[in-house]
Amino acid sequence: MIELRKVGLKYGDKEILKNVSLTVQDNTIKAILGPSGVGKSTILKLMLGLIKPNSGQVIVDGTDITGMKETSLYNIRRKMGMVFQGNALFDSLTISQNLGFFLRENMKLPEEEISRRVAEQIQFAGLEGYEEQLPESLSGGMRRRVAIGRALIFKPHMILFDEPTAGLDPVSSKKILSLISSLRHNNNLGAVIVTHIIDDVFNVADSVAVLYQGEIIFDDVTAKLQEAEHPFIRSILSDKILEL
Amino acid sequence: MPVTFIRILGKKFVLQLKAFFLTMQEFFLFSVRTFMSFPKIIRYWRDVLDQATICGADSIPIVLVSAISIGALLAIEVGNLLEDFGAKTMLGRSTALTVIRELGPLLMGLMLSARFGSRNGAELGAMQISEQIDALRAFGTDPIAKLVMPRLVAALIMFLPLTALSDFAGLQSASYMAEHYHRIDPGIFWNAVYPRLVAKDFVVGFLKAPVFAVIITLVSSFNGFSARGGTAGVGRSTIKGIVVSSGLVLIANFYVSKIVLENM
Repeated sequence: MIELRKVGLKYGDKEILKNVSLTVQDNTIKAILGPSGVGKSTILKLMLGLIKPNSGQVIVDGTDITGMKETSLYNIRRKMGMVFQGNALFDSLTISQNLGFFLRENMKLPEEEISRRVAEQIQFAGLEGYEEQLPESLSGGMRRRVAIGRALIFKPHMILFDEPTAGLDPVSSKKILSLISSLRHNNNLGAVIVTHIIDDVFNVADSVAVLYQGEIIFDDVTAKLQEAEHPFIRSILSDKILEL
Repeated sequence: MPVTFIRILGKKFVLQLKAFFLTMQEFFLFSVRTFMSFPKIIRYWRDVLDQATICGADSIPIVLVSAISIGALLAIEVGNLLEDFGAKTMLGRSTALTVIRELGPLLMGLMLSARFGSRNGAELGAMQISEQIDALRAFGTDPIAKLVMPRLVAALIMFLPLTALSDFAGLQSASYMAEHYHRIDPGIFWNAVYPRLVAKDFVVGFLKAPVFAVIITLVSSFNGFSARGGTAGVGRSTIKGIVVSSGLVLIANFYVSKIVLENM
């Protein structure tokens, strides 16, 4: 379980997050919805301890990671997989090297086990035949699937998606969303999805938090979003896609 | 009106000063973390070897070109000057001192600042803006231990032989010019070199190699890690890395010479 308690964050004089509190339960998919530049991705980085809040607490599986040292955070981070918006694949490594990179780096697994897990993720992502290709030679959707595979290969409890369908064509977006849904059903994984696309929320999320001007203005099950009366939520429900 | 203008200028100056000290603090912590990650060298020995190839073997051509050209030029100019005093036979000694103490290591440092430093800045900057460095941290890998420490270790190891190579090439080209341009017998040239060189001359020259290695690697890597604002940001951070590390190499060159020559 991941919990943010009254988190505040400032960059210089600019207040990014104000008193943000939200909880992500295990084995559920939580969406964080909001316009671009509002601090959604920042919330994911806070959950991983990549940045530290100015106030409040970030709690992962009962451990307060707010003041934790970088070296202590590595064990916490391995409980979560992260899929970055730009995929953040290592461009000089092949697809199979990208998938196996962190297993070789951080886990003392035999090479046979690493190869087995890489093959499993290649199959899961439907990338058979692309193992020795470099990321640049793949389509956007394929690269996103490699990034998801890389996050899953650790067998994390929770997976964090930063704009999983941004920049993808409708077919690739649909594939990615069904892949995310299948993770919870087949792998018992929890997920946090940061997005500005409302359809993504209704397609996969159990609950949704709406971030507006640095504050959470809605946090409930997805079905109740339709009933929300906040003018911003009403406006995004009519527009479906938030301003990019 | 002028009071308001001065107040705005003053505020801007204070903000820039604050930003400068914050950057210095970050750089200091970055450097400490790099040195603290030295025990992980066994884990990242392959990365050290890769970086040693990049900053060592791959840098040989540029180091040779700069050392040969400066050695040849030095021999011609100093030879002409010494001829006016009838002391052309001293060409070997003066060239050797200048090359071994100053120009050999300095040119190598500047060339590597441009070559190795720019590569570090651009590569790490591109990794930073494409979130690859965040990905390393997110998946439990220390990016400084993985990316910076191997570069520093490789530079510390490889800059010494590159300095020796730069000295050797510079002196050889000076000897060649002495023989073919000034008509000085190679025996006379080298006899003025070897017996006159003392330990202090080598200490001055070779002490600069690790100092330059630390400056170039840490400054360029720090700037790469600090890259923001897309591809233009990578360009800015790379340039900043080269300019700052080249400036610091020149300053360090002076102080290392001064300190060693005054104390040995």
